[in-house]
Amino acid sequence: MSLQDSSPASTAPVSSGGPSLLARLANPRVYCALLALSLLVIIPAWSGSTFVIHVFVTICVFGALSTAWNILGGYAGQLSLGHTVFYGIGGYTAALLLQHFGLSPWIGMIGGAALAALVSIGIGYPCFRLRGPFFSLATIAFLEVVRLLAIHFNGLTGGSAGLVVPLQLGWPWMIFREKINYLYIAFGLLMLSLAVSYAIRNSRLGYALTAVRERDSAAQAAGININGVKLWAIAASAALTATVGTFHAMYMTFLEPATLFSLATAIEIAMFALIGGLGTVAGPLLGTVLVVPLAELARGWLGASANGLHGFVYGTVLVIITLTLPGGLVGTFGPFVTRLIDKLPGGGRTRPETVAPAAKLVGGTLGEPVLKATNLVKRFGGLVATDNVSLTLKRGEILGVIGPNGAGKTTVFAQLSGFLAPNDGTVELLGQDGKWHQPKTPDAFARLGIGRTFQIVQPFGKLSVLENIMIGAFLRHRSVDDARAVALRVARTVGLYDVKDVEAGTLPIGGLKRLEVARTLATEPTILLLDEVMAGQSQSDTLKMVELVRAIRDSGVSVIAIEHNMQAIMSLSDRIVVIDSGKVIAEGAPETVVRERRVIEAYLGEDFVHAQGL
Amino acid sequence: MDVLIQLVLNGILLGSMYAIISVGLTLIFGIVRVVNFAHGEFLMVGMYAAYLLAAKFGLHPYAAAVPIVILLFAIGAAVQRFLIQPLLGAEEHIQIFATVGLSTALVNLALLVFGADLYSIPPSAAQGTVMVGGFSLVKGQLVMFVCALALVAGLHLFMQSTALGRAIRATAQNRTAALLMGVKVDQIYVIAFGIGAACVGLASALVMPLYPVTPTIGTYFVLTAFVVVVLGGMRSMYGAFFGAMIIGLVDSLSGYYIAPDLKEVVYFAIFLAILIFKPTGLFGLGRGTE
Repeated sequence: MSLQDSSPASTAPVSSGGPSLLARLANPRVYCALLALSLLVIIPAWSGSTFVIHVFVTICVFGALSTAWNILGGYAGQLSLGHTVFYGIGGYTAALLLQHFGLSPWIGMIGGAALAALVSIGIGYPCFRLRGPFFSLATIAFLEVVRLLAIHFNGLTGGSAGLVVPLQLGWPWMIFREKINYLYIAFGLLMLSLAVSYAIRNSRLGYALTAVRERDSAAQAAGININGVKLWAIAASAALTATVGTFHAMYMTFLEPATLFSLATAIEIAMFALIGGLGTVAGPLLGTVLVVPLAELARGWLGASANGLHGFVYGTVLVIITLTLPGGLVGTFGPFVTRLIDKLPGGGRTRPETVAPAAKLVGGTLGEPVLKATNLVKRFGGLVATDNVSLTLKRGEILGVIGPNGAGKTTVFAQLSGFLAPNDGTVELLGQDGKWHQPKTPDAFARLGIGRTFQIVQPFGKLSVLENIMIGAFLRHRSVDDARAVALRVARTVGLYDVKDVEAGTLPIGGLKRLEVARTLATEPTILLLDEVMAGQSQSDTLKMVELVRAIRDSGVSVIAIEHNMQAIMSLSDRIVVIDSGKVIAEGAPETVVRERRVIEAYLGEDFVHAQGL
Repeated sequence: MDVLIQLVLNGILLGSMYAIISVGLTLIFGIVRVVNFAHGEFLMVGMYAAYLLAAKFGLHPYAAAVPIVILLFAIGAAVQRFLIQPLLGAEEHIQIFATVGLSTALVNLALLVFGADLYSIPPSAAQGTVMVGGFSLVKGQLVMFVCALALVAGLHLFMQSTALGRAIRATAQNRTAALLMGVKVDQIYVIAFGIGAACVGLASALVMPLYPVTPTIGTYFVLTAFVVVVLGGMRSMYGAFFGAMIIGLVDSLSGYYIAPDLKEVVYFAIFLAILIFKPTGLFGLGRGTE
């Protein structure tokens, strides 16, 4: 097995471009989606009824809002229940710019989107550290504060009495006598939201968001800046929401804080996405299409006597969905429908597989230090888990770290990869630029070339094996095609190619350990930290893993391995460090280290040492 | 100075109302570990029950407290058994959506049945005031203050000195270990959720003489209760009690010194600051929100 290859640098694109536009249109998934979407315009245009047009405008508006919400709530898993903050910002920004400066709402729309994106970053930055329901509560609190302030500063917003949009007709002013024009704009906004949502879902950002949602520690180890990607998600989501808010305010021609910053609407938006399928592209729209007409028809037919009926239906449907179809409609029935659609003419094509050429050799002088840990100290309360540990890793060597259970090996690893900040001491890395760096966060460590595996495996359980590896590959490759090609190469190297399309959560432990290595290897590290990757492997798999680690080293990567499998680590390591009770107790060549009295003591106890007469 | 003392007294009395609601919310969160977004709607249901009992049978809400507490215990237990329990293993966002959906359904059901009108019971002595040392105190609020103290003391005794209380505390601390010790965790959850809802039942009977009921009254009170619970550190009944007092004071003082319509802005600002900067609560009594 060899990873060596003298072919050109791995940063070059490794696959050809995608299919042409015409070829894409011939795909039934594409033409079915476009046909279904066009019905949103065709039906109301054909009926001509003002009421039907109104229902479809509402569907498009809420479909767009829910699709935008899903970028944050579904992809990033951050359940905002105060999203109407951004909707209201869009509405008020455009209305106020129009009222005071006579600016067209099209300009106001852009201004509102920019403002909403800024505000969203102000909300997201401090709140993303909050867990599940508390993030939701914080977004509700922000919404309430904004609504109360909008009422209080009535000089600006008109307060509770509201604000009437100056009525100038025509396209520049987004106000029409012909209602169908509203539908064109609403449909356009829906398509915009869907396009952005689709693009994010199928991009590096989309994969990163999924990774962060599933397991933030593994995502960080793959070099993903957790807060960074969430901020992109909230900014995109907020800007789209504000854009729709501008249009909807113009459509209603009347703005009041109670409607524009409504908690009930914020909940509805989230609700549609869950009903349709959280984190899917089509789900939010599907949820809207199914639920909104019900409510609007009830309102249209029963009038005020049905007050509350639509909300009651929404709430009940939501409860039933959580109990019966937690994946939503698309999450539950999507795969089945997709299979049906693929049977249509032009369907069922699989994309051609491109496997990336082997990564280039890691450059640099063999034997020079690449990682220096100096006097590391880590305390947990009264326990000193790492007690003045120093170690140096040289380029191209395999350094074994051994020690009894609870000795503090994994804690040292966590400091070498940025997951724990030492109380004292430094970790320095030699960068590609030939300079020494002291990164602070796990993702910064990863970008500088540290790749680590986790002792307790951290797969992205719902993604396929290949997608798991792609998350790692995205660190050095921006395009999805390149990342896929690299992931395929790594899957072959590590022996996961046959299970590449399997859901990662279903792999047995040996496979999961190899997946840890694969995901890390895909980040193309210069330093590899392996935490007990042999554990749980069969004898033959252990031999393969030993061979693999050697091959990785031969490609110029420096390796530190924690291992309990003595036979494996002794044969593999160039040098061994022994840790006991947080201290380095021995260091040197494998054969000398195992004879040291202190090492035998640490493993087998003093009594054994005395009994053996050592 | 007199104004300040009057405001502080008002604040503490107002705080005792929030305390009763928030203690229930904290119990549910601390034990079942579910944030009950429908908590305010329990209050709304209790208040409509109190209104109907007063309107149809002439029962004073204080007398109606007993049946209402029982009713709310039953509702809470049923919600736990049939909605939350099936979802305990589900992802967090599903649990959030379940109680949010319940809340939406209940608000709108009330809107369907009672309409958006305000309903209040005929004026009673509870709205009157007594003069204590030159300060006027609303009698109904004094009753709430006494009830709040009695509730916390009663729950304290229950949790500390009964077998069931110990089982509840064990479950709250470590669900798996409690299960291994033979505690019927699912039953404990049903009881805990019931007790949490019963606290709100008590609150609704005490609130009814002072506030009219509307379908959305729950939203108004529950947002404040969430502020209180976060302030109190999420899982501590005592933290919730003191948090409620603080929010009562903030409400009373900022309503006077800043602007009546901005008092909520003040305590939502406090809420966000606590969430972001001191997630274990003001007194460090809870385990936090991160």
